[in-house]
Amino acid sequence: MAAIELKNIVKSFGDTAVVKGIDLNIEDGEFVVLVGPSGCGKSTTLRMIAGLEQATSGDIVIGDRVVNDIEPQHRNIAMVFQNYALYPHKSVKENIIFALRRQKVDNQDIERRLTEVSEMLQLEALLDRKPADLSGGQRQRVAMGRAIIREADLFLFDEPLSNLDSKLRSHMRTEIGKIHNKFGRTSVYVTHDQVEAMTLADKVVVLHDGYIAQAGTPMEVYLNPANVFVAQFIGSPSMNIIEGRLFNDYLQVGNYRLPRQQLSNVALQTTINEQGLPVKVGIRPDFFNDSRLFPETDNTFNFNQLQIDLIEPMGFDKEILFNLAGGSVKARLDLRSEFKRGERVDLIVDLSRVLLFDNETDLRL
Amino acid sequence: MLGKKTIKGRIGFALAIVLLVSFSLLPFAQILSTSLKHQYDWGNPSLIPQSINLDAYKELLGVTEPEQVEIPAAIQKILNNPKLSEDKKQAIAAKYTANDNLFPFGKYMLNSVIFSVGAASFSLVFSVMGAYSISRLRFKGQVVIQRSVLFVYMVGGVLLMVPLYQMAMNVGLASSLWGSAFCLFLIYIVQTLPVGMYMLGNYFRGIPFALEEAAMMDGCSRKEAIIKVVLPLSLPMLATVFIYCFIIGWNEYLFASVFLKQYPEFHTLPLALQELFVSKNAIWDRIMAASMLTLAPIVICFLFASRFMKGGKTDGGVKG
Repeated sequence: MAAIELKNIVKSFGDTAVVKGIDLNIEDGEFVVLVGPSGCGKSTTLRMIAGLEQATSGDIVIGDRVVNDIEPQHRNIAMVFQNYALYPHKSVKENIIFALRRQKVDNQDIERRLTEVSEMLQLEALLDRKPADLSGGQRQRVAMGRAIIREADLFLFDEPLSNLDSKLRSHMRTEIGKIHNKFGRTSVYVTHDQVEAMTLADKVVVLHDGYIAQAGTPMEVYLNPANVFVAQFIGSPSMNIIEGRLFNDYLQVGNYRLPRQQLSNVALQTTINEQGLPVKVGIRPDFFNDSRLFPETDNTFNFNQLQIDLIEPMGFDKEILFNLAGGSVKARLDLRSEFKRGERVDLIVDLSRVLLFDNETDLRL
Repeated sequence: MLGKKTIKGRIGFALAIVLLVSFSLLPFAQILSTSLKHQYDWGNPSLIPQSINLDAYKELLGVTEPEQVEIPAAIQKILNNPKLSEDKKQAIAAKYTANDNLFPFGKYMLNSVIFSVGAASFSLVFSVMGAYSISRLRFKGQVVIQRSVLFVYMVGGVLLMVPLYQMAMNVGLASSLWGSAFCLFLIYIVQTLPVGMYMLGNYFRGIPFALEEAAMMDGCSRKEAIIKVVLPLSLPMLATVFIYCFIIGWNEYLFASVFLKQYPEFHTLPLALQELFVSKNAIWDRIMAASMLTLAPIVICFLFASRFMKGGKTDGGVKG
């Protein structure tokens, strides 16, 4: 096991910079999820840690070694690939124990570990089959088995669940979580699925356009996103960003005036001139509540008489769309709230959940 | 309806197949038939011999005892002359008992095997290295190399024959037995390498690079990843390339006739056969039996290869 440190990592392919300077500390035993949209550099970062790509500049430290010039096979890293990358000519058993054979582990030890891993991943019945005879989920489990049978310093997962159907994906997600809890090994997990990021991670690293947009615990990035990108990327449905104008005493959103003093999650304390400061107001759909079910307090604000444009029932939840300050805004309410389209509703919001972002830089205020 | 087979269509198709197959197989049937006929039967146009004669095969394969040639009585008298020195006697006796009627088929076959298997083996090794580098590595001039390799294949052998021989003369290789053999070896490799590289290169591209990366993560160096993952997965294509190179070498006549002309003991089968055709020993059953035996390894190769060439080796390794 080992801690990892990335120091100002840059990776360019020709003239195209993909990773533009990443600094990241991963502690021993930590489960870190790199998340971001396609092309944000998350897979490239993972591959640089693995040694499959050479960083253009910067240092990668694993344990106490700078591994920049160490070949992948000498880094003692196990990796699960997006497309599984099982050896088609070898049986499941041979696939799993391939690395141990390379390390000249003695046969008894191999058998013991194989039994343990195949029991854990329910692969006992499949050991003699070839990868071609397995289903997608089974191949995925073999790929997992091939990684966890090793006593590697570090485990890398490159979008391991993206080829599975949604049911299997959520099952395997739970399994990966369990495995990590059992072994507690340092892991770096790449995904574009924010649910995987939120559920698995000790630390979520949101990448955007080759930079780290924010790194923190899942709840930190959910509740206190550093910028509009993170705010909208994490959370489903994504955060509403509404045009607003901040004055010394209040925040103007459409026709509503929210008292500035009670916006407790806004750091900005400077006085503002008379025209007010244009800002982006962020409110998560989940933080709207039906005023008939939740009592108003000193810290809540009532958006009254909002006209519902659309209702999307999801079973337990329903998402309702309405117009606020010229934009379409979404709220998520549960099944106790009964509405019809076109009806006017009063929704209340906890003012400490209202976030403000700079209109120009998109950064949190 | 699309794909529906009518009786007429089926018969027509079968007929076409039979015609095509018999057109290409008839010469072989003729060879086989003649090789099994007795001398009195040669003129008979029937493909089926009146009685089977295996003598030619036995003789070529060295199964029969070499005939003892009697020294003619007149010569025996000379040999009995006590004035003649022992050396001279032996020389004369050797001249009359020598069984130079015999065609050393085994030796020619061995020569052919050495040339074609040797060249095919080297060609395969170089093809693997070349194909891997053009399909996987990125380096300057890659495209130029990739294309120019095929250029070699566009130029016919006849055009190259004289310049190559001249070059071999100039560097002094063609004047010695081993030099000539080496040149021929080299020519076979160069001739087969482009297609070998082309075929293998395309095949390697079809093998997902993630498999090699997985092997590297599992503790293999790049070389080991190639040996343990890429090559086992390429077995069908490796076999195909080897057989292709082998057949080219096995059947090659033109360059062998130039470079090995002066060294009869190094003649390959095509050369030897050609000489058999025009020699005083032009006995039809023997010529045809020799042709048949020359064909045999290639037929065996194909049968062996078809077992190997079951595709789909990389199925199931990666998804999507």
